[in-house]
Amino acid sequence: MNCQAKSQKQRAVNVSSMGSHVMTLLAITVFVPALQAAELPAAAHFRKDIEPLLTKYCADCHADGEKKGEVSFDTFKSDSDLVGDHDLWLKVVKNLHAGLMPPAKKTVRPTAEEMRKIGAWVKYDSFGLDPKNPDPGRVTVRRLNRVEYRNTIRDLMGVDFNTDVEFPPDDSGYGFDNIGDVLTLSPMLLEKYLAAAKVVVTEAVPAVGKVMPERTIAGGHFRGGESPQDQGRGNQNQLGGAKGFSYYDPTNVFTIFSADHDGTYRLTMTLAPKGNFNFDPGRCKVVFKVDDREVFAKEFGWDEGKAQPFDFEQKWTKGEHRLTFELQPLTPKEKYVNGIEMRIVSVAVRGPMDQKYWSTPRNYERFFPKPVPARLAARRTYARQLLADFTQKAFRRPVDEKHIARLEKLAESVFTQPGKSFEAGIAHAMIAVLASPQFLFRLEEPEKGSAGKMYANVDEYSLASRLSYFLWSTMPDEELFQLAEHRELRKNLAAQVKRMLADPRSEQMVQNFTGQWLQTRDVEAMTINANVVLARDSGTEDELASQRRRFQNQFLNRPFNNATNRLGATNLVAQINGTNAPALALTNAPGRGNFAGRGRDNLNNFNRRRERDKPTVQLDKELKQAMQKETEMFVSNVVHEDRPVTELIESDYTYLNEKLAFAYALTNLDITGTEMRKVTLPPDSPRGGVLTDGSVLVVTSNPDRTSPVKRGLFVLSNFMGTPAPPPPANVPALSAAENDIKDHKPTLREALALHREAPLCASCHNRMDPIGLGMENFNALGMYREKERNQVIETPGKLITGESFNGVRELKHILATSHKMDFYRCLSEKLLTYSLGRGLEYYDLETVDQIVNRLDEADGRFSALLTGIIESAPFQKQRNKATPVAEAPRQPQKASPSKAVAQNQSQP
Amino acid sequence: MNPAMNKNPLLNPNVAAERHFSLSRRHFLRGLGACLALPAFESLNPLGVLAAPAKAAAKTPVRMAFIYVPNGIIPSTWWPSTDSSAPLEITPTLQPLEKLRNQVQLISGLEDLSANAGPDGGGDHARAGGTFLTGVRIKKTAGSDIYGGVSIDQVVARQIGHLTRFSSLELICEAVRKAGDCDSGYACAYEYNLSWSSPTQPVSPEPNPRLVFERLFGVGSRSERVENLKRRQKEQHSLLDFVMEDAAAVERKLNGRDRQKLDQYLTSVREIEQRIEKAERMPVANPQVDAPAGIPPSFEEHIQLMNDMLLLAFQTDSTRVATLLYAREGNNRPFPEVGLTQGHHDLTHHRDIPDTIDKVKEIDQWYVKQLSKLLEKMEQTKDVDGRSLLDNSMIVYGSGNADGNRHTHTNLPILLAGKGGGALRPGRFVKANQTPLTNLFLTMADQMGAKGIEKHGDSTGRFNEV
Repeated sequence: MNCQAKSQKQRAVNVSSMGSHVMTLLAITVFVPALQAAELPAAAHFRKDIEPLLTKYCADCHADGEKKGEVSFDTFKSDSDLVGDHDLWLKVVKNLHAGLMPPAKKTVRPTAEEMRKIGAWVKYDSFGLDPKNPDPGRVTVRRLNRVEYRNTIRDLMGVDFNTDVEFPPDDSGYGFDNIGDVLTLSPMLLEKYLAAAKVVVTEAVPAVGKVMPERTIAGGHFRGGESPQDQGRGNQNQLGGAKGFSYYDPTNVFTIFSADHDGTYRLTMTLAPKGNFNFDPGRCKVVFKVDDREVFAKEFGWDEGKAQPFDFEQKWTKGEHRLTFELQPLTPKEKYVNGIEMRIVSVAVRGPMDQKYWSTPRNYERFFPKPVPARLAARRTYARQLLADFTQKAFRRPVDEKHIARLEKLAESVFTQPGKSFEAGIAHAMIAVLASPQFLFRLEEPEKGSAGKMYANVDEYSLASRLSYFLWSTMPDEELFQLAEHRELRKNLAAQVKRMLADPRSEQMVQNFTGQWLQTRDVEAMTINANVVLARDSGTEDELASQRRRFQNQFLNRPFNNATNRLGATNLVAQINGTNAPALALTNAPGRGNFAGRGRDNLNNFNRRRERDKPTVQLDKELKQAMQKETEMFVSNVVHEDRPVTELIESDYTYLNEKLAFAYALTNLDITGTEMRKVTLPPDSPRGGVLTDGSVLVVTSNPDRTSPVKRGLFVLSNFMGTPAPPPPANVPALSAAENDIKDHKPTLREALALHREAPLCASCHNRMDPIGLGMENFNALGMYREKERNQVIETPGKLITGESFNGVRELKHILATSHKMDFYRCLSEKLLTYSLGRGLEYYDLETVDQIVNRLDEADGRFSALLTGIIESAPFQKQRNKATPVAEAPRQPQKASPSKAVAQNQSQP
Repeated sequence: MNPAMNKNPLLNPNVAAERHFSLSRRHFLRGLGACLALPAFESLNPLGVLAAPAKAAAKTPVRMAFIYVPNGIIPSTWWPSTDSSAPLEITPTLQPLEKLRNQVQLISGLEDLSANAGPDGGGDHARAGGTFLTGVRIKKTAGSDIYGGVSIDQVVARQIGHLTRFSSLELICEAVRKAGDCDSGYACAYEYNLSWSSPTQPVSPEPNPRLVFERLFGVGSRSERVENLKRRQKEQHSLLDFVMEDAAAVERKLNGRDRQKLDQYLTSVREIEQRIEKAERMPVANPQVDAPAGIPPSFEEHIQLMNDMLLLAFQTDSTRVATLLYAREGNNRPFPEVGLTQGHHDLTHHRDIPDTIDKVKEIDQWYVKQLSKLLEKMEQTKDVDGRSLLDNSMIVYGSGNADGNRHTHTNLPILLAGKGGGALRPGRFVKANQTPLTNLFLTMADQMGAKGIEKHGDSTGRFNEV
């Protein structure tokens, strides 16, 4: 039922044992009851109200021996087969909703009332749903995914742990990476969780109560007496970092340190030569003085650029002290080379060493709000209190006494060891908390006192987590937790959702949902060759190809180049060089390393030319980021300004910075700088709405060209909720058809038109291709274009549901108006899937219908969608554990061979 | 190749101790990655740690690895033109293996029929990758209910894994992992995972060479990493006891799928505990090189670093079983390495255009070159018994697609390198006849010392002609 995954599943339709015997729809009514003791009420209702409609509108293709698409309505073996074929009836409803069935060419179509009737029978009779008490379904316990773990650790511990690097990527299902069933835990991952817990706690939790004060002076703070080269460089932004001084210039710089007390201080100066040399670049002498007394002198070479620390102790009085760094060159002038520097990385000053001046370390109060008591009994009490507070935050619900007692024992086993601090003991127990399944998994409980009910509200702690992981991708904050504790969250739901949306953390929902729904996350990994794409647009592919061949023949060892290529390239090189002989000599000796003489000249020329001809727009990191940001900010606007969701398809604004505006050729809007901002588009702009965002256009392209098929499929899957099924096996090659066009290079439109002539391909490509071809005015880099391969791009098209359009503006308008309900449904299903962490099932149909209705009644305002989801049964409730197994959804038969096993495993 | 590299201090542990500070991470890359023909790894056993377990076992251990390349090959330049079995004809695609001619055998006629479409329609890439080591059809789903088989490396690891610190090692050279539907309705899990410990549990491979290294040898500088590893294991021991009780208590309250999730947790805890217990009995090698810095931007360097990790793991006898995906099945990256802007997968559907076919051949050869670098290093690395590491290994290199253009799964391109401790006879072109690939795997499992495996996936017997 999820608009992507579910409808792609193959369905094996029960074929009647009567073989080719023709059975009319009427025959069922007469035939089946004879075999059964009593007629099922749902079947009776079917015969009375539904069967006549199916006979009228569907029988041509799906009865009397016809079974187009492997669907027939008159070959059920029994009433229970008829009523129980949830997969078939779900498909019926989906196809009716989307207007795919009956096909557009049929003029006799069911009325709205008739469609409602069919839908109601499917929901209430076949599926047995109760609109007053819909089945919430069951969600498998969810492990925190990478994003959620990172955010939760940040909120809980105040540490940013980069899970993108440290953890393996999470698998995803139904298009999202927060699906409980799919989030597995392997020994490798658990090992990483253990290691991460240790790293995080070590970084966040102070291991001692008092530390010697420490201040670090960055190298950039040393000033004065700078070498002439350094003067006027404006070193302001170097203040925080290291500062370098050439080995060849005498230098004398200083800084002032102000000591707070009399006492002994320990200084650690870290020096690092900078550069990269395969030979000796010379030497220098460094002298370090404190209050004009030399405390350190040493000669340095390059020393492989290794940073080295040097320690010295100083007895200081309270007040200012001058630290001086001197560099004396030791290299003879004739041996000077560029770039070797001695960097002062930092000078760390620790002290005074007398403990009475020591202070609590950074973050101490966050974890240890009180001083540590001296006596063991009091320490135990304090430990229990600290661990109880911490653990219920980490587990996102109250924790029982026994658990706290165990944790306290674990802490005590450390802090009673000689030489171990109380804090170290608590830290050790905290590692155990972060490695616990109760932290790593989101465990939910039903509300107390709901034992007898089939469907129970989840308790308020679970609800708080459901809300916070949905809207923020992190743990509940103090306010949510407090409300849950007092059982007041449900009462204040609307206000809390409003508060949570206003919180910057709600950008997490925007990013994580958008990143996966619109695949903006994938932009980062896309590689699109701008040279090739632009050459295709400007009709200069041949020139580019010959240029490339020339380069490859000359400089790369290409063993498989065929003879014609090599000959062609030879001639081209000859033409460019204006002479034949030397060029031939070059190409006769291809291969790496042949850079001497003319070969090197050619390479240099080539590189120069390449630099000169570099495409004006390239899909580099900044452009990718701008594209991703554009889409995210757009969605964020719809979410936070409560706009109609159809603006996601059609709008008169977008978000740009200078670079993106340039790529979009919107250079007359005076957009400068790197900052993204909201921009009102010119009235005739083809942009506006996410479908024409660079991000979407790029992720639906191939590395060298657009893919109308991918774009079409993208729109069908993510906006209309009617993805085309995957291609059949043994797809015939495109080549034969394309080779028929001899006189010119075929445009994609021509190639795809030939492709659609194959009946095997037509049924699905008739749905995908027109949409994608309507977007052909945008190349693979997301740039607007009028021509491809010297031909004007034509953009008329017709949707499978019958609407004609010309160009992307009209296409978007049709999607946002005639197909508005399809979009509402698709978006609702996507966001519901994301919010629940499970794929949608047939029994969610009622819930989705209700959300779609609310959304429609609110003219598509995002808030209606959000509250519709949050107030829905699956978000608020869970199936009670006592619910008997028979209540579990009946699994329809599947074609897949291993289904039987998988099914058995999924039964509780 | 820089001749100065032969004076690499790694050769001599005493010299290494003196000069090790000079080997920066960049040196790691240069020394182990970009250069080949380095007889350097002998010294990676400076403490002689490998000798101890090897002496305990009567025989030098045999190692086994599976290296996967995506999208099949162009058959015409892969297969020999003649039928003669020896000497092995070095075809154009196999050119990089010229020097190793006597250490590889090419096997034709092996097939993976589980990857055929059958009733499931499109998705040959997912099937090719998802069945390669299992020989079991995979369930067509992009959702939560992935289902395949157990892979041969895991079957063998289950039997002999207790002999080494790690029962197996899983590696991949894909920095970014896609999720969801990767191929015509098949979950990405099928393409990104070669190893499966159960039909529903893929063993995710690690893409980051630094993390592989740290897992094998510990975190930190050379002098402290072994200590760090041991300390961490000790700490983990007490934590594991604690969370184990925790998980057991939670599990009792759950049912159905929820319970399965907690089972995964408990199983993982037990497995780590076993590994720690094992590690406490077994010495940890400490190769005198720095850990790599992370995933390098260059694909070639990434592969070479992963090759090195595989080599280090085998050489230090940290594990004897490994899988390595050079790229996941269906990968569509462009190949600037050989000057190609179109994606690999797109190119393999070459429409019989000669120029396009040539491009794919170059990619095919490029991948073989990456393999050759690993094999050359293995050949130059001395094992404890004085033979080369490659002599004591079995390295399968291949793809679950044969002809990428047509998505065929018969006559798969399969190379078997190494002598398997003396049992294999490389240097030949071996012809199987419509034989399940899994038959070869069973023969290899025998050589690894696994006992009592009568059948694996769709196997019909052993393929003992290798």
